[in-house]
Amino acid sequence: MKQDKPSQLSHDLEIVSMTLASQIQSQDRGDFIRDSMPTALKLLVVMPLLAILIQVFRWVTGGSAGWFFSWTSWSILTVAVPLTWLFARVLTRQVEVSRHRALLAADKQIGSSERIATADHFMQRSSRDGFMQAAVEDATDWVGRAREASLDEKSVRRSASLLSLWPLPVAVIGLLIAAFLTQYSRVPLAGDPSLPEINSVAAPVSITPDASQPKQQPNVEELPEPNPEKEAPPEQRSQRAVNRQGSSGADIPDEAEESSGKLSEGETRESQQSANPSSARGAPSTSGQPSKSGEETKRERKPKKKQKPEKEREKKPRPQEEKPSGATAGQGSSKGSDNNAAPSDWASSSQAATPDDEDIEDEEDVADEEEEQESRGGVQPNLRDRRTPVNRDLQIGFGNAQPNPDANGRGGPSGQKKSRGVASLVLGVPIPDRVNGQPNKGRIRITQQRITPEAEQSDPVAAQDRLPRQGSVGPIHHPDFSPWLQDFVRRYFLERRAQNPLQTSSPENTTSTTPQDPLQTSTVAESDTPQS
Amino acid sequence: MSSSLSVDNPEAARQAADEFRTVHAAIREEVSRMMVGQDATIDGVLAALFAAGHVLLEGVPGLGKTLLVSSLGKAIHLTFSRIQFTPDMMPADIRGTNVLQESETGGTKLEFQPGPLVANLVLADEINRATPRTQAALLESMQEKQISVGNRTIALEEPFCVMATQNPVEQEGTYPLPEAQLDRFLFKLVVGYPAEEDYRTILRRTTSNKEVALNPVSDAETIIRMRQVVRSVPVPDHVETEAIQLVMATQPGSEYARPLVNEVVSLGASPRGVQSLILAGKVRALLDGRFAVAGEDLKAVAPDVLRHRILVNFHGMSDGVTPDDVIQEVLK
Repeated sequence: MKQDKPSQLSHDLEIVSMTLASQIQSQDRGDFIRDSMPTALKLLVVMPLLAILIQVFRWVTGGSAGWFFSWTSWSILTVAVPLTWLFARVLTRQVEVSRHRALLAADKQIGSSERIATADHFMQRSSRDGFMQAAVEDATDWVGRAREASLDEKSVRRSASLLSLWPLPVAVIGLLIAAFLTQYSRVPLAGDPSLPEINSVAAPVSITPDASQPKQQPNVEELPEPNPEKEAPPEQRSQRAVNRQGSSGADIPDEAEESSGKLSEGETRESQQSANPSSARGAPSTSGQPSKSGEETKRERKPKKKQKPEKEREKKPRPQEEKPSGATAGQGSSKGSDNNAAPSDWASSSQAATPDDEDIEDEEDVADEEEEQESRGGVQPNLRDRRTPVNRDLQIGFGNAQPNPDANGRGGPSGQKKSRGVASLVLGVPIPDRVNGQPNKGRIRITQQRITPEAEQSDPVAAQDRLPRQGSVGPIHHPDFSPWLQDFVRRYFLERRAQNPLQTSSPENTTSTTPQDPLQTSTVAESDTPQS
Repeated sequence: MSSSLSVDNPEAARQAADEFRTVHAAIREEVSRMMVGQDATIDGVLAALFAAGHVLLEGVPGLGKTLLVSSLGKAIHLTFSRIQFTPDMMPADIRGTNVLQESETGGTKLEFQPGPLVANLVLADEINRATPRTQAALLESMQEKQISVGNRTIALEEPFCVMATQNPVEQEGTYPLPEAQLDRFLFKLVVGYPAEEDYRTILRRTTSNKEVALNPVSDAETIIRMRQVVRSVPVPDHVETEAIQLVMATQPGSEYARPLVNEVVSLGASPRGVQSLILAGKVRALLDGRFAVAGEDLKAVAPDVLRHRILVNFHGMSDGVTPDDVIQEVLK
């Protein structure tokens, strides 16, 4: 029986160690997966970002619209990348659980204070003393409990750690949707060979020089006449555009030739677009939109332009005169005249320099801002938002009296200090300027002159005798003297003065009557004069 | 002196362990009649007594440190002496000295008069008030358990246990214990204030006419036998490894040292700290009804064992890091 107990205990320990080892491995794998989940969730973002990058790249380079892969493929790739990474990491992870570690885990699980691991350790020894045998026997009951035990799941920590990562899947879905919407946000430009139906619709929308003629509703049936350039391959069209530029001379911008304002009725805008997308100021705008919904939206919005009254169009102030600038570098054209140097198609459409193109600008300015922004998915702002705001600087330049040439607000600079006060905060109510005053135009001028110093000529002052004091000066207070002594001194001097008043003042007269040498005075005056 | 304990069979081991727990419980109960509260301190003092170590009690005045040690001496029926350390105390005052006495033949002879250090339980009260010279006199007695007077070496009687107290607040005119002497203490127990209910019991016992008389429930032989029982408790290899790594983790620059240890510790625990950990762990394992030391025993006794063996540098002190903080960091 005594022989059976250790063998039974050894068998139980073996079972417990194997069971706990497998549990530890599975739990460790779960912990590993849980620890890897944040990274896997971050990898979810990879494919949507790649999709957006590809779309942007194709957009910039003027590639054809549409998805590189299908929507479903992108979604599957989005999920497949982190799953593949996670699967590979789990497969490559090898967790070896020793027997001792498994038994310690069992001890910790059932709270046996390492009795099982200690018993297993003592059983492996060849000789055991009484305490060791007692420790082994003491662990028998605990081993039985350990066979029925299983490791605790740390579900609370797992859920808490994963819950904090909920924004990642939401961000991934948002990115996918954003990438999906990028194809609809693009404005399909006429001339895109991939969109024949849109090109056909764009023709009636094109603006004719004759504004007196009523605009017609776009009709799919009234397709324009086929343009020979339309059927030509892009290389041929590009060559024709180059030839046209060479024949028209350097003074005529490309827009003048390609402008739709020169089109006659029935011509398509496609024929006026540059055959080579890269030559149109670098704008990759010739790619169209394959989406049907985008086409329908365009069809619905275009007629609104035509319903605008022509009078309104005439009254519409022209945009700020374009200044020639060199800000068009990199746009593939030398006719950059707008302040905005953004190499985009919407910007290039407003850079016409010829009167015909200005008419086109007028037409486009009539368009509703909201419509334009919606048509571009709200990504690109309206041209008016990019204009330089009106300069309301009224101050005169510091250091010079030159008026500020850019000051065109509130009547421009003037010598008057104008103010509209708090009342100007009332919007919509015209309030006249109140003149507060005139600026002081006087200046303080400090000049330095180099002159030769001259001696100051002054008349000598004749010395005179000081006359004796006339009248009483009042009592003189001498706090140091007692009243008796003051009276005694006073009486003494009164007696002396009464006896011989001239003798008393003789020393003063002698000093004051000393004649001063006028020559000496003059000399002193000269010496005080600084030498040049 | 009793013979060495023989525990060849598990039944004898169980009986020895039961006897240990019985003796421990009896002494503890008797001391608790006088000492109110402070259970952790009582357990620590008894553990040091059974582990053949010395105890340094640190606490503010009035917490019953002296009362605890004196009560322990009465409960175990051991020779008890109390030394109140002062700055002018000399080593001969605690060890004893040779005194010239008349012999039976009418002559004179030098006869050794033992000092208070020659006892089973020595209470070194306010040990940090003695000069380093007097403190050094304790070194030999605590470690070698012998004293040297002149050319004589006198072995101290077992069980020999020094229980020193020191006041952490009044540092004026004190001589902090050197590291070599601190290392000789098995435990450094921090005595705290009693609980509210303990205050009531203290008041009833000390402000009335009732006097608590302690009866000896054990003797020196029993204590020595219990010490042998403690030393018979086996230690598994993984627990030994854990104790070694725990001590090495307190040593800055070791491979197990954490960044905090490398940053704020200037001196870690010595190999004597490992011995103390295992001995104290054995006592705790027996009290817990186990026959071998476990890792949790080491973690339980580590603060008391390692607290005075870890020296925090100036950087750590300026940051408010205490040795207990370092130990908690090591135990993570």
